[in-house]
Amino acid sequence: MRALIPRFVILAILTPAALSAATPEQEEFFEKKIRPVLVESCYECHSSKKQQAGLRVDHIDFLKKGSENGPVLKPGDLAGSRIWEVLQHDPLDTQMPPDSKLDAAVLADIKRWIEMGAPWPASDVPATTEGAAVDWTQHWAFQPIGRPQPPETRNTAWPRTQIDRFVLAKLEASGMRPSDETDRATLLRRLKYDLLGLPPSFEEIQAFLADESPDAYEKRVESYLNAPQFGERWGRHWLDVARYADTKGYVFTEDRNYYDAWRFRDWVIAAFNNDLPYDRFIKLQIAADQFSEAPDDLHAMGFLTLGRRFINNKNDIIDDRIDVMSRGLMGLTVTCARCHDHKFDPIPTADYYSLYGVFDSCDEPKNEPSTLRLVDKERPSEPRVFLRGNARNGGPRVPRQFLEVVAREDRKPFTQGSGRKELAEAVANGDNPLTARVWANRVWGHLIGRELVRTPSDFGVRSDPPTHPELLDSLAGRLIDSGWSTKTLIREIVLSNTYRQSSRMTPDDEARDPENLLLAHMNRKRADFESLRDSLLAAAGNLDLTLGGKSVEISGSSTANRRTVYAFIDRQNLPEVFRVFDLASPDTHAPRRYETSVPQQALYLMNSPFALAQAQKLSARYEALEPADRVRELFRAVYARDPSSDEAAAAKDFIDAAPEPESADIASGWEYGYGAVDPDASKLTSFTPLPHFTGSAWQGGPQLPDDGLGWAMLNSAGGHVGNDLQHAVVRRWSVPADGRLAIRGELRHNTDQGDGVRGRILISGDGQRGVWEVQNRRQRTILSGFDVRAGDTIEFVTDLKGNLNHDSFEWKVRLTLDVAGVGIVESSSDREFAGPTPLPLKPWDQLAQTLLLSNEFQFID
Amino acid sequence: MQTETINPALDAAALSRRDLLHRCGMGMGALMLSQLMAETGSVRGALQAATKNPLEPRQSHFPVRAKRVIHLFMNGGPSQVDTFDPKPLLDKYHGEKLPIENLRTERPTGAAYRSPYKFQKYGESGIPVSEIFSKTAECVDDMAIVRSMHADVPNHEPSLLLMNCGDARQIRPSLGSWLTYGLGTDNQNLPAFVVMCPGGYPIQESQNWQSGFLPGIYQGTYLDTNNVEVSKLISNIRNDRLPREQQRKQIDLLQQLNQRHLDRSGHDPQLEARIQSYELAFRMQSEAADAFDVSREPKHILDMYGPGTQARQILIARRLVERGVRFVQVWHGEGQPWDNHDDIEVNHRRLAGQCDQAIAALLKDLKQRGLLDETLVVWGGEFGRTPVVEMPKEGSNQGKINGRDHNHWGFTMWLAGGGVRGGTIYGATDEFGFRAVENKVHVHDLHATILRLMGFDHEQFTYRYAGRDFRLTDVHGRVIHDLIA
Repeated sequence: MRALIPRFVILAILTPAALSAATPEQEEFFEKKIRPVLVESCYECHSSKKQQAGLRVDHIDFLKKGSENGPVLKPGDLAGSRIWEVLQHDPLDTQMPPDSKLDAAVLADIKRWIEMGAPWPASDVPATTEGAAVDWTQHWAFQPIGRPQPPETRNTAWPRTQIDRFVLAKLEASGMRPSDETDRATLLRRLKYDLLGLPPSFEEIQAFLADESPDAYEKRVESYLNAPQFGERWGRHWLDVARYADTKGYVFTEDRNYYDAWRFRDWVIAAFNNDLPYDRFIKLQIAADQFSEAPDDLHAMGFLTLGRRFINNKNDIIDDRIDVMSRGLMGLTVTCARCHDHKFDPIPTADYYSLYGVFDSCDEPKNEPSTLRLVDKERPSEPRVFLRGNARNGGPRVPRQFLEVVAREDRKPFTQGSGRKELAEAVANGDNPLTARVWANRVWGHLIGRELVRTPSDFGVRSDPPTHPELLDSLAGRLIDSGWSTKTLIREIVLSNTYRQSSRMTPDDEARDPENLLLAHMNRKRADFESLRDSLLAAAGNLDLTLGGKSVEISGSSTANRRTVYAFIDRQNLPEVFRVFDLASPDTHAPRRYETSVPQQALYLMNSPFALAQAQKLSARYEALEPADRVRELFRAVYARDPSSDEAAAAKDFIDAAPEPESADIASGWEYGYGAVDPDASKLTSFTPLPHFTGSAWQGGPQLPDDGLGWAMLNSAGGHVGNDLQHAVVRRWSVPADGRLAIRGELRHNTDQGDGVRGRILISGDGQRGVWEVQNRRQRTILSGFDVRAGDTIEFVTDLKGNLNHDSFEWKVRLTLDVAGVGIVESSSDREFAGPTPLPLKPWDQLAQTLLLSNEFQFID
Repeated sequence: MQTETINPALDAAALSRRDLLHRCGMGMGALMLSQLMAETGSVRGALQAATKNPLEPRQSHFPVRAKRVIHLFMNGGPSQVDTFDPKPLLDKYHGEKLPIENLRTERPTGAAYRSPYKFQKYGESGIPVSEIFSKTAECVDDMAIVRSMHADVPNHEPSLLLMNCGDARQIRPSLGSWLTYGLGTDNQNLPAFVVMCPGGYPIQESQNWQSGFLPGIYQGTYLDTNNVEVSKLISNIRNDRLPREQQRKQIDLLQQLNQRHLDRSGHDPQLEARIQSYELAFRMQSEAADAFDVSREPKHILDMYGPGTQARQILIARRLVERGVRFVQVWHGEGQPWDNHDDIEVNHRRLAGQCDQAIAALLKDLKQRGLLDETLVVWGGEFGRTPVVEMPKEGSNQGKINGRDHNHWGFTMWLAGGGVRGGTIYGATDEFGFRAVENKVHVHDLHATILRLMGFDHEQFTYRYAGRDFRLTDVHGRVIHDLIA
C-alpha cells in the first residue's frame, strides 16, 4: 500500500486585534447576532476548511486582511467595507451569500456591528488552515541523475547486462529467482511486436529457429531497429504523449481540420527511424524555428500546436501547451498551478505564469512553410499572474523563466525573444533531473509492460517511487551519456536477460510478488489497438505497408488497409472503435493507455464489417488446399505455428459440422432497381438493379444525379424517380410462398412544386393492381387480399408523371401474406430496407475468424 | 485521512497503479489494497477483484436513493416563464420596458414579453404549469420544480459543457461518465451510459457525454434515434452473415482454443477476463435487440407514449432503465431545437407538443412499474430564456421581435422520482422571471444533489489525474437537501 503523505498544518500567524477589546455588551451582541450569521451563511466557503477567493471570515483579523482582492472590512466604516456591498445583492455586483439575500433585520444587525467597530472577542483563536507541507528538496525525482554502479549479485551466471544485475539484486534480496529464458519463437514474436508492432511470419520464425549462430537474436534486434516500421511503432507511442489528432475539436463553424497534422506524425516517425537524439527531438518540438534550418523540421512544433482549440480560447490553448510539455516531457503537473499554488509539488502559480508568458509571446503565422510552426512575437509579453486562474483578475507581474523546482538557484529570466529557445534548452538538458528519467521510464514501460514509476507523467511528491530507483538512474544516465540515443536504450533493454524471461508466472512468484514488481518473469501484454488491427490485416495478407502520407479514415465501413498509425483521428467525435479499444485520449496528454476488457471489443471482432472482411480474406488465401493443409496454413498465418493434433482435429470437426450457409436465410426478399414503364399497357418492360449503395440509398453512382441513371434513387422511406419513363424506380418483393397477399401503404409527395409523381403496383411486371398520382399530398395505397404464388414478384413502380421537377417521394408499404396452414408472413419496405446482401460467412471463414478472435492471437507472451 | 476512492472495485482498479491494472484493470484512483484484501481475504483475491470488468456494479458512499437517471435534455434552452415559472407581471408590462434594468445576455433585448400560454394549477400541490406541458403537469405531485437555477454565461457551448461536465471549457468527464465509473452498471449486456438524440448531435456534440480523463468505456454510447433498426442504433450488435446458432458454435470452438492456451500459459486473470467478454458479447446481441425494439411493447403502452420520435426514444429510455442501464440521456434533437430566438409561441408549442405526452407517460409508466422511486428523472435545458423580447440584430435572428434570448441568470429545471421530494417548488426568480433570487441553485449544486441522490458525497467522489484529485463539482457545489424527500 502506498505511503500516505502526512498532513502538516501551516500555522496562521496573526497580529493581535488592533482595536481595543470589545465590551461585554458588544461581545454579547456579537455572539447573539453576528457570529451565528457568519457560521450559518458564510463558513461553508470562508473558514478554516475553505477559503474561496482567499477569504476567511472566522476571525476579525482575517476579515481585515481580506480576500485576494483586498480588505473586506473596515471597522467603523460601513461605506468602506466591501463585505457590506456584497450583502446588498446589487444585480450588477457580486452577491453574498450567493443563494439569497440576508433578511433586513440581520442586515441591520451587521450594519450596527460594523459601525460600532466590529467588536470581536479578544479570546478568540482562529482555527488553523488545513494544508500540506513536505520537504520537496529531498524528493527523489528532483535529485541529480546519478550514475550508479550495478550491484554485485550472488548468481553471476544469469546477468547478461547491467540491467540484469539491478533486477537480480532485488530478486535475490527477496529470496526470489528470475525465470528461464522464454522459447525462441515466443521471444521473436515479443521482440517484433515491441519494436515494430507487427507479428512475425511463420517463415520468419522458422528461419530464426534454424539460425544457430550465437548472435541470431542480436541480428534480429538490429534488423528490426533498422526497419522503417520501427518508427511507425515508436512514433505512435510518442503521438500518445503528444495528444495527437487530425482535428481541432469544437470550434463553432470554423473548419475543424488540421490539414497538416500528418506532417507532424511523419516527422515523428522519421525522427525515431533516424534515431534523432532525444534532446534534439525535444528541442525541435518546442522551438524548431530557432534550432534548425531544415524546413521539414518546422513540422515538429505540431507537438505544441496540434492541441484542442477550446473554441479558440487563448488561455486554454496555452494551458494545453504547458501541460503537454510539462507532464509529457518532465512528469510535472504544472497546470495544477494555474489557479493556485500546487497543493503538493513545489510549483507556485508564479511559475505557471512564467511559462504562460513564453507561449503568450508566440504566434502561429499563416501562409508559412509549415502551418504547424510557432514564431516569436516581435515584442514578448510580460506575464502577470491571473488570480484564481481568472484572466480578468491580474495579479503581480512575473518574468518569463523556467521552473524553480528544476532550475533552483541558477534560475534567470529568459532574455532571447519569447524565451522558447531557452525553455527548450532547459527541458532537453542532461542536468534536468526529470527529462531523461521520464523518457527512460516510458521506454522501459513500453518494452517490459510496466513502468518503473507507475505514474509516468507524474513524478511529483505524491507519485509512486520507482520500484528500482538505481536502475532508473542507470538507464537515464546512459541515455544521456549515449548522446540521447533512444535506439541504444531500447537495444540495451531487449538484449537483457530480464527482457528475455518467460512470461509464465510460477506459483511461488504469485505468492511472493503477485504484482510482479520485482520482475521474476516477463509481463504478458495485450496487443494494443494498433497492433491488433495491423495483425488482422497482416494475417489476411491484406496489410499495406506504404509509409507516411495523409491520414486515412479507418472507422465505419472503411476498407482501408494502411497501418493503424495512419488513421485519421477526430478528437471531437472520436469514433467508437478507438474508444472501445482504449486508444490514448487525444484530448489532453495521456500518461498511459487504459487496458479494459469489455464486450464491445468482442463485438467489434465478431461482427464488424472490417473484422469479417479480414476473416474472409484470410480463409480465401488457402481456398485451393485440401482440408488438413488448409487448417495448417490458417494456423501458420494467424499463430505462426502448426496446429497440434487435437487443435487440427477440433478445427476439422468444426468444419465438418458446420452447415453451408443458405443465402435465402439472409436475403430479405427485396430488390431495388429501375425499369421502363409502358404507360399505355401499364406494364414494366425491364428491371435492372440500381448499381450503387451509399449506406442509406440505392442509386446510379456515388453522386446524384448520376451521369447514366440521373436522379433515380431508392431509400428506406421512398426515393426519387428517374429522369424519364425509361427510368422509373422499382422496389420489388419476391413472394416466398403461395398465399393471399394484402398491401397497405401511403404514397406521399411533399411539395407544391412540380407536377408530382405516379406510383403503381404490378405483379411480375404485369397485372397492374393499382395506380395513384400525388402532388403535394399523401395517398393511401391499399390493396385488399388477392392470391399470389411463390416466385411472383410484386413491383412498386414510381415514375415522374409529366415532368422532372421536385420528384422526391415517400412510399412505405407493408405486405401481409397469409399462407394457408402456416400463418402470416409480414414485410415492411422501410424496416427491411437494406444494402447489398453481404456474402455469408462460410464454414472456413468462420474458422479463420475464430482463430483471429483467440487469446493466443491477441496476447503477446 | 481521506479515502480517495469509494469502493472496492475502484480501489481494485487503483491497485493496478502498481501493476495490476496493467494486467486488466484500469489505472485510476488511489489504492486501498488492504481494504480489498480484507474483503477478499488474500492478495490473490484482491488481484482477481482488480481484473473484473470496469462496469461491474459497485457500492457508493451512502445508501442509494436513485439507482438510475433519465435526463431529458431540452437543448437550446426552454423558456421558464412559458413553462414552469409563471410571471403574471409580464402581462402588465407587456411591450413596455421592465422597471428593472435588463440583465446582460447574449444579444440585445427589449421590452417585457408576456407568455403567450395559459397556466393552470395541477395536482394536490396546486403547482401551476403552462398549457404546453399540460400532460406532464398531471404528474406535478411527483416533481420538484427548481425555479432558481443559474449558470455562468449566456452561450450554448460553455453552458452545455457546464451542465453536462461541470466545467465550461476544459476536458472533464460528464455526469453520466462519473456515475458509471462510480457505480458500474446492473446489466452487462447493455451499454451503461446511453445517449439518444434524433437526427444527429446537439451543439458541442459528443463532448457532452465525454469520459474526459476516465477510461473511454465510460463515455456515453450515442444512438441516432431517427433510426428504428437496432443494427443501426448500436454498432456491431448483429452479425448478418452468420446465423446465431452457428455463431454459438463458433464461440464454443473459440473457447476450446482459449482454454488450451490458458492451460499452456498458466492462470492469468486478464486471459480469463477476455474469455468471459466473448460470452458477454454473445448475450449482448440478443439483449440489446430486445431492449431497443419498442414494437415489443403492448398497444396500450405505445398509445400511452403516443406517436413520433420523442415518444419512441423516451419509451426506449424506460426500457433501458428497466433493464438496469445506469444513465440515459435523451436529447430533444440535433443542434439546439429549443433555441427560439423567434416565433417562440409557435415553436415552444410545437416542441412541447412533441414530448409532453411521452414525458407524462414516462413518469406514470415508471410509477406503475414501481421504478419511479429508484429512477431519477431530470428535465431541463442548458439555460432558460429572457422574460423580455430579443431585439433584431443583423445575422442573429429573423428580426421578428417575437422570441426570447438565452438566459443563464435564472431558469427552471425539474426533478422527479429517485428520492426527490415531489410536489414542491424550490427557489424563485425575481418578479419578472429574469434572475434567480431566492434559494439559488447553481448547476454545481444540482450536480452535488444528483450525486447525493445516487449515493455519493460530491466532495469525496474523486479521480486522481495529472496530479490532482478531480471532482465533478470541482471546488463548488452544495447539496440542496430540501429537494430530497
